[in-house]
Amino acid sequence: MRALQVDINDNVAVVAQAVAEGEKVCVNDLEITAAGNIPIGHKIALCDIPAGEMVVKYGVPIGRANMDIKKGSHVHTQNTEDITTQLCQEYAKAFKKKVGAEK
Amino acid sequence: MSMTFQGYERSNGEVGIRNYVLLLSMVHCANTVTQQISWKTGAQAITHDFGCIEFEDKHARTRLSLLSAALNPNVFAVVLVGLGCEQTDHESLRKEIAEAGKPVSYVGIQESGGSMEAVEKGTELVKEYQRQAETLERKEFPISKLVLGVQCGGSDWTTALSGNATIGAMTDLVTAEGGSVIISEVSGFPGSEHILAERAVTPEVGLEVIKMCDELREEYVLLHGQKIEEVNPSPGNKAGGITTMVEKSMGNVKKMGVTSKLQGLIYAGQHVPSAGLWMLDLRAPAIDANATSGFAMSGAHIDVFSTGRGTPMGNAVMPVLKLTGNPKSFAEMGSMLDFNAGVVMEGTPIAEAGKALLEKVIEVANGEKTKSEINGDFEFIIPRENNR
Repeated sequence: MRALQVDINDNVAVVAQAVAEGEKVCVNDLEITAAGNIPIGHKIALCDIPAGEMVVKYGVPIGRANMDIKKGSHVHTQNTEDITTQLCQEYAKAFKKKVGAEK
Repeated sequence: MSMTFQGYERSNGEVGIRNYVLLLSMVHCANTVTQQISWKTGAQAITHDFGCIEFEDKHARTRLSLLSAALNPNVFAVVLVGLGCEQTDHESLRKEIAEAGKPVSYVGIQESGGSMEAVEKGTELVKEYQRQAETLERKEFPISKLVLGVQCGGSDWTTALSGNATIGAMTDLVTAEGGSVIISEVSGFPGSEHILAERAVTPEVGLEVIKMCDELREEYVLLHGQKIEEVNPSPGNKAGGITTMVEKSMGNVKKMGVTSKLQGLIYAGQHVPSAGLWMLDLRAPAIDANATSGFAMSGAHIDVFSTGRGTPMGNAVMPVLKLTGNPKSFAEMGSMLDFNAGVVMEGTPIAEAGKALLEKVIEVANGEKTKSEINGDFEFIIPRENNR
């Protein structure tokens, strides 16, 4: 079984086949045991992600863990909060500040 | 790699890659006649449900869409088909199309003496234009003359990883050679505005992008009382493994590559003012044909379309070159897909796939038909924005 880590800073990877609980998943040189069933194209945790920490994919935070996510777990809507509006507002503010459009 | 293509020089200095003869229905009453001329000649037809008793602002969009399709450089000649008493002013359209140097005629059903008579008259006109088109010869042009639209639809879990990433690699090659690429599908950008803004050629363009994304997000709250992430990603996206809007947006933004600078925003019917990567700010509903038609209206020669699940999408005035990032989809739906970016999933470097995609784009520019053209998928819809 194989999973793809898009960016070196990501704490999740995308499984390239459906994975059953207990199966070994190879990500680069890492071997991770799936903590549950993971459908094809879904994400597996590459390390423990404590509640409140960001889920990182494409090198950016894509959401926030709303419970402790164990290494090997399926990372999806059941354990990840969508905080898009908050992130967008932060991005907009940071850019405006950077170019001097806002203090 | 040959960084030139073989195109047709137009009298106004533009370059087309096809010599399409386009049939344009002026009003819904003329749709069947328009279609019948299309069946008899093989010429593409644009029909629609508008053109009469429209409010001024809505009719302005109808007219802009029809005119912009006609002015696409891939269109050699145009036949306008009307009833005779409709709102659409065929004479002013005919004049503007003629001023762009294109052969253009009008067929009116009432003045022809009936629908069958109009079909006969229109068929003769199209056949004459097709004969004229056959005498034109291609010439060599640099890629800097080429304008591509890039989009995705019918997405699956491979779209961001391989399909859009391959388009992104191609985008960087095209802009490095002085060519132009247009991105749109703007409702998919909130969540990656920091990437877009950082890529902008000036801080002003960056702020325009931020403003656009702010407005798009705020619209959800103002009109529907919901945050964007409560509506998007869709249930289908989630079933496919996309968890959040930021994640979806980051897959979308892949199509703009890594090195290409965002030159600015353009709007419906506007061509790119200079070469490079441009954003078409078209706030029409996020269905595939709106973006495709928007690119056609902005003078794109080819639409490069990434689809994980497969789609027949084509366009009336542009070849649509469809690639999939999913090797299984390519194996199963080869009759409507042109390029397999699924090799990336099997280990081919993205840069290599992007180079191969550009080679395919050049072959299509040189005259090789896309599956959309072979299958006769010639869609066009009028992109309606903000209730206009």
